[in-house]
Amino acid sequence: MSEVQQTDLLIVGAGPAGLSAAATISADRDFRVMVIDEFPEPGGRLLGQFHEERNHSWWIGKIVAADLIIQNTLAGVMIQCGVSVYGLELLPDGWRVLTSKGDIRTKYLLLATGAAEVPMPISGWTLPGVMSIGAAQVMANVHQVKPGERGYIVGVNVLSLAIAKELVVAGIEIEGIALPPDDLFAMEETNPVAAIELLTRLSDAAPAPWMRWGGKLAQKMKLSRLIASCFPKKGVKVWDLPLQLRTALVSIQGVDQVESVIVADVTRSGEIIEGSQREIEVDFVAIAGGLYPLAELAALAGCPFLYVSELGGNIPVHNERLKTTLPNLYVAGNITGVEGAQVAMAQGRLAAHSISYDAGWFACEEEPKLLDAIAEVKEVRRSAMIQFHPEIDSARKRIYELFEHWM
Amino acid sequence: MRKSLRINHHPLLGEMDKKVISFTYNGEKLQGLEGEPIAVALLANHIRILRRHEESGSARGLYCGIGHCMECRVELLGKGQVRACLTPLKEGMEIREGSRLPNAITGRVDS
Amino acid sequence: MRHVNEGYIVCRCEEVTGKQLEDAYLLGAITSRQLKMKTRATMGACQGRVCRQLVNLWLSKKDQCADKGVEPLSYRTPIRLVTFGELAGEE
Repeated sequence: MSEVQQTDLLIVGAGPAGLSAAATISADRDFRVMVIDEFPEPGGRLLGQFHEERNHSWWIGKIVAADLIIQNTLAGVMIQCGVSVYGLELLPDGWRVLTSKGDIRTKYLLLATGAAEVPMPISGWTLPGVMSIGAAQVMANVHQVKPGERGYIVGVNVLSLAIAKELVVAGIEIEGIALPPDDLFAMEETNPVAAIELLTRLSDAAPAPWMRWGGKLAQKMKLSRLIASCFPKKGVKVWDLPLQLRTALVSIQGVDQVESVIVADVTRSGEIIEGSQREIEVDFVAIAGGLYPLAELAALAGCPFLYVSELGGNIPVHNERLKTTLPNLYVAGNITGVEGAQVAMAQGRLAAHSISYDAGWFACEEEPKLLDAIAEVKEVRRSAMIQFHPEIDSARKRIYELFEHWM
Repeated sequence: MRKSLRINHHPLLGEMDKKVISFTYNGEKLQGLEGEPIAVALLANHIRILRRHEESGSARGLYCGIGHCMECRVELLGKGQVRACLTPLKEGMEIREGSRLPNAITGRVDS
Repeated sequence: MRHVNEGYIVCRCEEVTGKQLEDAYLLGAITSRQLKMKTRATMGACQGRVCRQLVNLWLSKKDQCADKGVEPLSYRTPIRLVTFGELAGEE
């Protein structure tokens, strides 16, 4: 048998939240901290992200990750990659975590497992060459191999536009970003009107000025229907991307892998215009259905859940200090709701202060730090480039209220 | 020979600094970078078919890229089934595509 | 009229189609758990990480009054691929 490892704090997930939590807590305290992740290298979704800031400088996730990893290494944090967690169990004095490399016993457990992608089933979507948009991002930006030479993206949302832009920067041809077919598996953004409403919520991150200014106006005056009617069938270029809000990708073709897609024009309410179908040659298709919090471990642990659509799905109930209803179990990052990496990092720092506070040393010193960390999360959320959902604050309040009720 | 899908001069992310090594896939000798996931090395060589569905035999490839979907299960000699998107490539690895199961196991009756 | 296309696969692991979900629904499998039992959707190698959302979404559109909180699908250990060797503590 391999030896059971012991630690004071185990963090599951070496992404923005997990690495920030580890760096913050270990910088402050003499406390054994271990971070594990099933990906071969630490950084999580930071590794694949970059975007242009308001001042036109580039925010590069890989560099942010490298910095966090150095901070952790200097502080003596053990980061173990290629370790999968397959179960966990509450003990009288902490948690036993079952991993592919043996058991780990820990007093405190922080789940920072991030998010997973929502799929969109399309005829032919099991063919090799069809992948989630996140997979295309990981291939191009983390491993630096093109997901293909020419691709189609299906699904119009914050994630698909941001990643499409990254793919173009990497020299990959994007033939179009189109809507999924409007069927019983379609999410809210499937018709042109809904897609425009969604894009106009992006505020500063909206990919074109007409969306930023026109968008806000459209929201106020409910002009989305008009914009959808006027939207050219050929699509328009935004951020150099061929955005096709009047086109649906109806089928993916190929014998043993992707060879082409069939697209069709749709009416403003999403109905396919018969006779408009056409075949376009591509060698990959990326499906962008959005993200949902990956909370399997919280479910196994026995956390109560609340379905919150603004946050992407079922959320383990927690309070503003990121404590769950179970002893010594904390959550941070996208497991608490889908938002950007910078919010996840601030949440990681908050979880670290919350755990230090609960561990009971120097509580009078910890209290103000904890309150500052709570305020920082709100500030980072408020100023984020990409607003995932306009109602995040009120949605989060519902979870905190349920926590109080539960306890 | 088709052009590799590797991005050699990424304008923002720089170059990959990894050693070139050899491995085989379905008996064919290929090259990849040490430590990159098996699925990445195969994709760079334009290989997308990683598995055949156990029952129907339909071709499958990389889907989620981060270990969630299990679609990229390949046979790694000495290890059995592994997720190609998470398993780092090592010199001399012998890899085969995940195969369709025989009818005797699945109980399938081909029509 | 909506574009109806229920012939293609929803659950990739078990190759369950929208048509099969529809048939099961008509036979009385009207909750996520009942649909799972009837069709094996969400029961494959990914343990529903990919299609669980789809089954729930499909059902919520079938039945607008369905409460998403009712009878949610459960999770069980092990939630990741683990070999017998690893269970026995081998490297």
